[in-house]
Amino acid sequence: MKRKMLGAEEKRAYWLLVLPGVLIYWAVVAFPTIFSLVLSLTNYNGGPLFGAKLDFVGFTHYARMFKDQYFWISLKNNIYIMLISLFGQIPLGFLFAYVIHRRLVKQRDFFQTMIYLPSVISTIVIGILWQSFFSPYGPFTELMQKFIPNWENELFYDPKKAILPVLFVILWMYTGTYLIIFLANLQKIDPALIEAARIDGASEWQVLTRIILPCLSGVILTTAILAISGSLKSFDLVFAMTAGNPARRTSVLSLYMYDNAFRGAPNYPRANAISVFMVVLSLILIWIVRLTESRFGGRE
Amino acid sequence: MMRVRSDFHPLLRFFVYAMMILFTLLTIAPLIWLILSSFKTTTEFQLNRIGWPQNPTFFNYTSAWKLGKFGTLFLNSLFFTIASTLAIIFLAVSAGFAFAKIRSKATPILHGSFVIGILLTIQSIMVPLFLLVNAVGLYNTRTGVLIPYIGMGMPMAVYLCTEFIKGIPDSVVESARIDGASYLKILQAIIWPMTRPVAVTLAILNIAGVWNEFMLINILVSSESLRTLPVGILRFSSALSSDYGRQFAALVIGMLPMVIFYLVFRNQITKGVSAGAIKG
Repeated sequence: MKRKMLGAEEKRAYWLLVLPGVLIYWAVVAFPTIFSLVLSLTNYNGGPLFGAKLDFVGFTHYARMFKDQYFWISLKNNIYIMLISLFGQIPLGFLFAYVIHRRLVKQRDFFQTMIYLPSVISTIVIGILWQSFFSPYGPFTELMQKFIPNWENELFYDPKKAILPVLFVILWMYTGTYLIIFLANLQKIDPALIEAARIDGASEWQVLTRIILPCLSGVILTTAILAISGSLKSFDLVFAMTAGNPARRTSVLSLYMYDNAFRGAPNYPRANAISVFMVVLSLILIWIVRLTESRFGGRE
Repeated sequence: MMRVRSDFHPLLRFFVYAMMILFTLLTIAPLIWLILSSFKTTTEFQLNRIGWPQNPTFFNYTSAWKLGKFGTLFLNSLFFTIASTLAIIFLAVSAGFAFAKIRSKATPILHGSFVIGILLTIQSIMVPLFLLVNAVGLYNTRTGVLIPYIGMGMPMAVYLCTEFIKGIPDSVVESARIDGASYLKILQAIIWPMTRPVAVTLAILNIAGVWNEFMLINILVSSESLRTLPVGILRFSSALSSDYGRQFAALVIGMLPMVIFYLVFRNQITKGVSAGAIKG
């Protein structure tokens, strides 16, 4: 009898503690995900939602989305962002962390602070700042014209090149995050291990490749996951820096979704289809990384 | 121990220094340029884009502050940041305690749903979330922003709290149970005080995240009285796109709080960021 009462108290306490958080989280994240899946298959385009009669049209909106050139432009830019994260931010972040950890430079605190600083500032401020910096009226033009007197600033006008300043700012902004992650994990490696190897005559290069990199394999995988999922996050910076222009050539998937819902006549079904596409894409990416993780045992 | 090592090739050292100085300059130079420009009038800026201000003026700041209604923007940013941070810490410690110390068949599903959420980007559901907030009548209200902010911060917070509380020995909870304490009492009297380190981490991660949040509040709110700093600054600078002086002053005003926050809490932020970078 006492046991049973205890069990009931345990259950009550569990649900009392868990439910508020779970409900808010599900309402904000899980529900809209399912909700957009349903709406993407209908013609719902605004108006009262609950009680409305939904007109199911199958995968029409997906088919149209895949035929839209702006979808592919946006996806391509997301892939560029992913690549600059994977092959720019992560190696640079590692290099900086390594140099700081192994005391290759003086003023380590100062460098660390400065390299991380951009990622605490509002992305909107950063976007406007760099936009003015690179604009034809900004200091970048003036600096370039000191070297090449007739240099014309077409950075934001040439559709082929307009994404380059955005990629540069992304590289600049988030390298510090990886620096901090790598530094924290380098500090976890037992210094005695490295000292012992050095005494046994290992070179710095051997220490790096035989001891440090294997110790960090789990972290490298983690940063790769962060970089991949992070690349789908980019919205604010592009919004503030180029707003997708010129001619939507710097759009990304989230901005493409925004445009469909809020620019001009709303096309909610298309926006919902994009949302579902992005969710599925990130689930697939997470699943692939998980698979590699279990295959290679990349955990620390 | 704190000496710089000398057993590296000078060329390698030169290369490494060059890279770090380049990155540092890339951070400092635009910021200094921004601050210098913010003390120039627009007329002066058009003649003197890079140099030192000839007649430094505060006018840009006072006028941007008034015109951009920065007082309101600050108060709103403060409100959303503080309210969401407190709610997230409270909810996540409670849920984390239940997940870590009370056995239940529901835990794998519930806790698992939070873990998936860590990597699901909120950007990918921005429009459905907007439609939902609209449908339940919370468009353009404080609650309609606050609830998404809380929900968005939960996955990482719950994950970190659960891991942290798992690290507290079971015997602490069990002995209190034997003494007849209820779970709520244990949470309040024993667990809550012990979770301070993780609460600090959560606060740091969330303050930086919500203070700078733009995407959601930009679509969930339309009236000026509910806007936060990022939205206000963007509107302000696109309305005055050729009024450089005031625009730059607005950017400095928007940037300063987080820069100060960072310089003051540098170590905690560094710790929080690396704690947040958990394996998916």
